[in-house]
Amino acid sequence: MALVIFARSSIARLALLHGILLAAAMVAVLGGVYFVTSRIIAAEGDQLIALEAQGLAEDYRDRDLDAFVTAIADRAEDPWVRGGVYELRGPRGDFLAGNVVVLPELAVQPGGWAEFEVAVTRGDANASRQIRARVVELGGGFRLLVGHDIQDRGAFRAVMLRSIAWAVVVTVLFGLFSGWWLGRRIARAAHAIGDSAGRIAAGSLGERLALTGSGDEIDTLVSRFNDLLARVESLTTTMRAVLDSTAHDLRGHLNRIRGAAQDARRTAVDPAQAAATEAVLAEIDRLGTTLQGLLRIALAESGTAPLEEVNLSAVANELADFYQPVAEPGQLTVAIEPGLVVRGHRQLLAQALANLLDNALKYGRGTPILITARRDAGLARLEVRDGGPGIPAEYRELATQRFRRLPGSSGLPGSGLGLSLVAAVARLHQARLELSDAAPGLRVVLSIPLTGLTPG
Amino acid sequence: MKILLVEDDRRASEYLAKGLRELGHVIEQAFDGDGGLKAAETGSYDVLILDRMLPRLDGLEIVKRLRATGSGVPILILSALDEVDERIQGLRAGGDDYLAKPYHLEELAARLDALARRQRESGSIGKLLIADLELDARARRVTRAGRKIDLTAREFQLLEFLMRHAGQVVTRTMILEGVWDYHFDPKTNVIDVHISRLRQAIDKGFERQLLHTVRGAGYTLTEDA
Repeated sequence: MALVIFARSSIARLALLHGILLAAAMVAVLGGVYFVTSRIIAAEGDQLIALEAQGLAEDYRDRDLDAFVTAIADRAEDPWVRGGVYELRGPRGDFLAGNVVVLPELAVQPGGWAEFEVAVTRGDANASRQIRARVVELGGGFRLLVGHDIQDRGAFRAVMLRSIAWAVVVTVLFGLFSGWWLGRRIARAAHAIGDSAGRIAAGSLGERLALTGSGDEIDTLVSRFNDLLARVESLTTTMRAVLDSTAHDLRGHLNRIRGAAQDARRTAVDPAQAAATEAVLAEIDRLGTTLQGLLRIALAESGTAPLEEVNLSAVANELADFYQPVAEPGQLTVAIEPGLVVRGHRQLLAQALANLLDNALKYGRGTPILITARRDAGLARLEVRDGGPGIPAEYRELATQRFRRLPGSSGLPGSGLGLSLVAAVARLHQARLELSDAAPGLRVVLSIPLTGLTPG
Repeated sequence: MKILLVEDDRRASEYLAKGLRELGHVIEQAFDGDGGLKAAETGSYDVLILDRMLPRLDGLEIVKRLRATGSGVPILILSALDEVDERIQGLRAGGDDYLAKPYHLEELAARLDALARRQRESGSIGKLLIADLELDARARRVTRAGRKIDLTAREFQLLEFLMRHAGQVVTRTMILEGVWDYHFDPKTNVIDVHISRLRQAIDKGFERQLLHTVRGAGYTLTEDA
């Protein structure tokens, strides 16, 4: 679980990037050291060979040939103690002295360098040694090869490469760890903020994040976030207060108008007058219903409606039972999984579901209606499906907006607030509302988080 | 009935008082919280109508103070606030019923009757009887003229609600709230259908009809119609 979150999080990316950057820096630095060191060692070795070759060339000029050949032969004896190889050839390419026989095969110009391997027998084992050698023209067609064993140079390079490889591995691991550690610190703060934001979105507006007291950037962020929360809380409180006072005021006015109209209706003697006041009363009632619908939506949207544990299965069963007699016999099919408990507002949930059933009965016009509720990955999935004309895809978004009614439904009773209330109630419950084609008909799915399970 | 009406909206108070007087009630009016509490403490009333928000002393505060002194007078709270959650607060404070503005006079009158009757009859539980229809709440058994009538759980609750308010008008809203605890208005005629089903069960085949529709108001269960 923690690993999954880690892999998905920005910490993982941060840690990885950190590790890669550290490793790259390490490779660059150590690679540079390796390159320079190898160059110095190679140059020093080459200089030794060049000096020896130069010395021997001078010997050749100073001594007679026999003495020189003997001297080379002496040097060539017991070569592996000194690690030197020699090969002297005469003008016709004839071998005069030396401990290796390579010159005929080497396509090296005099003054040039050659590298080759020489097999050495030590006891029973056949070992191969890497040799770097210089070929010099001695004059009179004589050629001399002077070489040194550079096996140790290669071994040194190998050790160095291994060390560098290990250093890189360790650095990557260290980089990943330090990246993870740094990231976790930030992520912890981010998660704390995110969790709080979630709870706040669910209505706990009074909540604040704890400061660590370190005064660092994260503390500053937390403090700003708390300021933001205070602002949101005060705005919400103000909005609720405005809503309440507006509602209070409008209802008061409406109540006085209704009182006056009802009084007029009772005292009316003229039938025309009575009919007129009757019409006024009906309009006032319609206005009252609309006002109440809007206020319910506003209540749900303000997020200040008190939530409690609600048995959604029971609410759905009761409503199905309530609407059963209105439906045709066999029209209503109910399949509700028991024990679906959500954190919610019972009255608003019931009203939302009632609106869906009202719609299904009204627009379904006798077609089969299916009410289902089941558990689905930490969600209570409540579905109401009818076999009516449905809502064309392009109007589905519009259908949940206030006072929006679909073309062709003007003949049917309705305020245009039914689905907006459902949408508002869905938001209050952090639920997902989906309208889709039941082919034929409309399928409305409300997915509400079950209690005790936080998704993700 | 003698009713104390505490409402700071004078015009609304006048219309309501006039309407209730026409229905034969005696109305006394108070226009703020202090006056309302004083009148309620000194006078004797069958039922109190309290506005939820009053100047000087809040309606809920009056309810709490009256209940604290041991007064059991039925109280109906009127409110211009959304009734879903406010209602719970009102009832918790000790109110007996709660009605949101704008209200219908018929609705209010029906609720007042129910409140006053409940006060008089509190304590009489168990068997309910109207004409030859008998409901045994403990045994969950209904008989008419000695013959057993099978009802669903909800039909039983609906009949019990009607029988507890026998002889009075019960409105659709009262039924919705009292039987289903729903505080919204279903757009279709659901209550009417439930009532007609119940009527089928208890009245069909009997000469004397007990469950009657009161036009423009609601229903009543009575033997004299």
